Amino acid sequence: MLLASVDYTRPATVPEALEALASREGAAPLAGGQSLVNVLKNRVASVELLVDISRLEELRSIEASEGSLEIGACVTYDEIDRSPEIRAGHEIVSRVASHIEDQQIRNRGTIGGNCCLSDPTNNLPPLLIALGATMNIQSGSGLRQVAADEFFRGYFLTAVEPGEILRSISIPALGEGAGAGYSTLSVASDSKAIVRAAALVRGNGTIDEARVALAVVGPVPIRHSGMEEALRGGAATADAAREAAEAIGEDLEPIADAHGSTEYRRQMARVVARRAVDEAIARGGENG
Amino acid sequence: MSAPSAPSAPSAETVVAPVEPGERLGKWSGKSVPRTEDRRLLKGQGEFTDDVWMHRQGYAHFARSPHGHAKILSIDTSRALSLDGVHAVLTGEEAKEMCEVPFFQIAPEPAGRLEEWPLAVDKVRYHGDAVAVVLAESRDVARDAAELVEVEYEPLPVVVDTVAAADPDAPLLHDEAGTNVAWHGVFDYGDIDWALENADHVVKIDRLHFHRFSSTPLECNAAVVNWDPGTGVVDVKSNNQMPMFASMVIGPTLGVASNKLQFASQDIGGAFGNKIGSYPQIAALALLSRKAGRPAKWTEYRQEHMLTAGHGNERTFLDIEVPVLKDGTILGFKVRAFDDAGAYLHYEPLGAVIWSQVTPGCYRLKHIQVDYTETLTNKCPTIPNRGYSRLQHLWLIERIVDTVARELDFDPVEVRKQNYVQPDDYPYETPSGCVYDSGDLPRSLEVALELIDVKGWRARQRELGTGSGKRIGIGIGSTLDSGTNNFGQARIINPDLPFSGNGEAAYVKLDLYGEINVDIGTTPQGQGHETTAGQVVADVLGVEPSAVNVSAGFDQRHNTYVAFSGTYASQFAVTGLGAVLGGAEMLRREIVTLAAFALEADEDEIEVEGGACHVRGDPERAIPFIGIANLAFSNNAVLTPELRERISLNCRYVYTPPFTVPDPETKTGELTLTYASQIHAAAVEIDEETGRLEILDYVAVDDCGRVINPQIVEGQVQGAAALGIGAALYEAFEYDADGLLQQSSFYDYHALTALDMPMMKYADIESPSPFTPNGAKGMGEGGGAPLSTLCSAIQDALGDGDALVADSHNPWFRIHELLGGGADGAPRAVRVESR
Repeated sequence: MLLASVDYTRPATVPEALEALASREGAAPLAGGQSLVNVLKNRVASVELLVDISRLEELRSIEASEGSLEIGACVTYDEIDRSPEIRAGHEIVSRVASHIEDQQIRNRGTIGGNCCLSDPTNNLPPLLIALGATMNIQSGSGLRQVAADEFFRGYFLTAVEPGEILRSISIPALGEGAGAGYSTLSVASDSKAIVRAAALVRGNGTIDEARVALAVVGPVPIRHSGMEEALRGGAATADAAREAAEAIGEDLEPIADAHGSTEYRRQMARVVARRAVDEAIARGGENG
Repeated sequence: MSAPSAPSAPSAETVVAPVEPGERLGKWSGKSVPRTEDRRLLKGQGEFTDDVWMHRQGYAHFARSPHGHAKILSIDTSRALSLDGVHAVLTGEEAKEMCEVPFFQIAPEPAGRLEEWPLAVDKVRYHGDAVAVVLAESRDVARDAAELVEVEYEPLPVVVDTVAAADPDAPLLHDEAGTNVAWHGVFDYGDIDWALENADHVVKIDRLHFHRFSSTPLECNAAVVNWDPGTGVVDVKSNNQMPMFASMVIGPTLGVASNKLQFASQDIGGAFGNKIGSYPQIAALALLSRKAGRPAKWTEYRQEHMLTAGHGNERTFLDIEVPVLKDGTILGFKVRAFDDAGAYLHYEPLGAVIWSQVTPGCYRLKHIQVDYTETLTNKCPTIPNRGYSRLQHLWLIERIVDTVARELDFDPVEVRKQNYVQPDDYPYETPSGCVYDSGDLPRSLEVALELIDVKGWRARQRELGTGSGKRIGIGIGSTLDSGTNNFGQARIINPDLPFSGNGEAAYVKLDLYGEINVDIGTTPQGQGHETTAGQVVADVLGVEPSAVNVSAGFDQRHNTYVAFSGTYASQFAVTGLGAVLGGAEMLRREIVTLAAFALEADEDEIEVEGGACHVRGDPERAIPFIGIANLAFSNNAVLTPELRERISLNCRYVYTPPFTVPDPETKTGELTLTYASQIHAAAVEIDEETGRLEILDYVAVDDCGRVINPQIVEGQVQGAAALGIGAALYEAFEYDADGLLQQSSFYDYHALTALDMPMMKYADIESPSPFTPNGAKGMGEGGGAPLSTLCSAIQDALGDGDALVADSHNPWFRIHELLGGGADGAPRAVRVESR
């Protein structure tokens, strides 16, 4: 498929980018283009002006301080995979990024693009929700912060308003006794996800805090408060995780497609959520 | 009770006569000579159709139906034509007016009355059906213009299930045919009623389903077509893999004689049968070129390829009954088969007979009745995809054998070994009169089981027990790749078709300075024809393979073709190399004649070696090929008149297999010449919670007779295994109730990648074919063994439960469902009646 005719500009600074984005109604930021360009080729969405932000240095840095991270929106998956800072404090972020599609895509695709496209099958959104990340959104009038679990609003829809861009993503330090886990069931290797889950568990033998995010079970990744509540205050064990996963049920109404029925996805959500929590508990133990 | 007698043996003259391969091949054949074509292909120096450029060419784009079935109320091309850079737009109605007759149909009446034109006329019959085609100055403009072709549709009811399509009340696709049944016939071999009455057990299976998928060539379809208004010649540069079939179908439709319809291709990026089906598009491009007065270039998009380039045959098997003796002898089976050909008959309904090349599979089954119906549905037309029509049937037989073993408590290995055609049975005549040429199936199976250490996996399976959340399954698939078709089998479909036999042409010559050149009528797509033809010629003419230039690709202007030319249906090693061998031997005889003349010796004293001829025992009396060429081409006054007349050093040879015409009444005959076998085995691990399957160990044991180039053969085995594994687990084309394709991009159609492929073990066994010039058998398609193997392994992993692996496609959710005992509320699909 070919792109429809589209204008292109590459501003030199973030303010210039914001100006370009505000200049036309059909303007959209282009980062790695690994999803957006496919969307445009398939003519699912139409864009009149592509504002290329991929080379803006302000969006390309990784800052680490005392275990917390700030990752620029235009940092690529490959850079996340290879970053010593991210590997040190948030190994799971590197690991998930390293499993996104293939090397060519990882060379170009960005964390900001992965989030802003808000495709429900994307890898990073459920993880960022589980980790309690904050999305830093820049507009002409300043910076505002939106929690990751408030950021995703619908299919291809996020909290980023016209005239704004996602500038960076802040991920808090895991902290002592905390661990994160991630589990995906996909059609094959290197392929579409059927269901995903990410989890963060904090505690020492007993779970003090649990965050469980599920994806591909609806238009946006969600936190599953039922399972989180079931975990909280309980023992940090596989049995507890298994029991808590039972909280996932009829409240979910995942789509049915060629890769699974609604009921299958619901059951699999339970499985991957439990596996993510199991991993989080195990890693939390190592981090105690 | 005694088993009934086998069908009477055919009379001696109907059995294919063995040929003596003797010493026709020498030191280069059988070696993994590095592929000649790789240097050019790996350096980006290949010439694919999209690389072809013609002066004044425009770019074509098809406007396609968004509906599964709809009436075309009107087409308005004015907006498309008003776009800057658009040369022409051609609609279905206009195309029809420019044509002489609809495409030739293979089907007998009533389906034979079906009218197909290069573009849809009056109505569209599947999602993606082409209604118009645009020619413009660039690909972008052509695509934009195609979106501006305004078509008013009135949606019609759709039928996407082959069994439902056969119902007389089903929505009708082709009014002129008056039925959706493309072909129906009963193949009745032996005496199935006798067998069912006299068997100790009858195993009954309600339904099995072989799903729809396709291969994924890296290069999609493409063509550049120029209708030259001056000469009337229509030049077709394309990647169609069976150009002479395409020519025979579209020539009469376009009103262009064969000698003015010129097909050519150089490199083709995979085809797998898909590229037999591009002739309607080529015909449309020819008309578009004629209308616009410019060459029309078309390079298919991947999505277009998935929607419209052709899918493999989907087949539903109903009411299967299998008579079995208490010692484990399987007598045969009875089945009603419904095959789904899609919306138009492209090469179909040949699939309705092609499966009968392997009627009993690998087994000595004597009593087989197949009630076969092929239907038209509102789906993409099928094409003869790799393993065409046989893999569906072979999968059925493997499911039958596994089910018999499981239900009657036989060891799946022993029941196979017992029922296999045995090594001393060859040449073995099947109930449908095909003659299996050679093989050793029991040994192939033993080798396979040893290579994956089946005993070790069985132990591991027991060890795991229950409660681990994992299951181990071990599976076997036994299939055949029948090669070198006898086109006479078309008469079983339609007795009026004047087709039979097969053949291929090669031109082998010395060039002006004694260089060796070979042209072949094949259209290689990765099979390494330049390499293997070079090996054969090097052996015959006593040179190194690098001294042989094999022309890249196909060109009708070389006059190296017959009606069957092309590359399809596992036959190159026999027909292509048979032609090359014959041509090289002709040339060698001419060289020897001239050498004897020049050296004043007898022909039987001449040795041909190292690019020269010498008199035996006297290396000083020698003449190099350059000298031979000089005599024939630029110094011929020194020759005798007789030699001048007889010797050209240009040797065209047509290989024809020794076939007779099959009998349409009894539906019997020698339908194919060779039978390569594939015995696969696998150990898999299934995650009980998700149904996810991981292949732990996989082996393919291949027997394709004499191997010309082992590395190329192994590559083909790997490729065929990859297709089968992908199809078994990931790849399916499914339509919703509105007739819309659910998997029209790689997001939803996961074509298997290297990451999904297990590290496959491989072994080959060589049982030379007694029927071919070189002992080789056609191979490359495989028989879909991984589909059988993985279904067998899943079934094994399920243990003693009720669930039957009844579908050839087993994504995780389906395996999960099987682990839970099958689909909710589904009745048990297998019954056994014993006496």
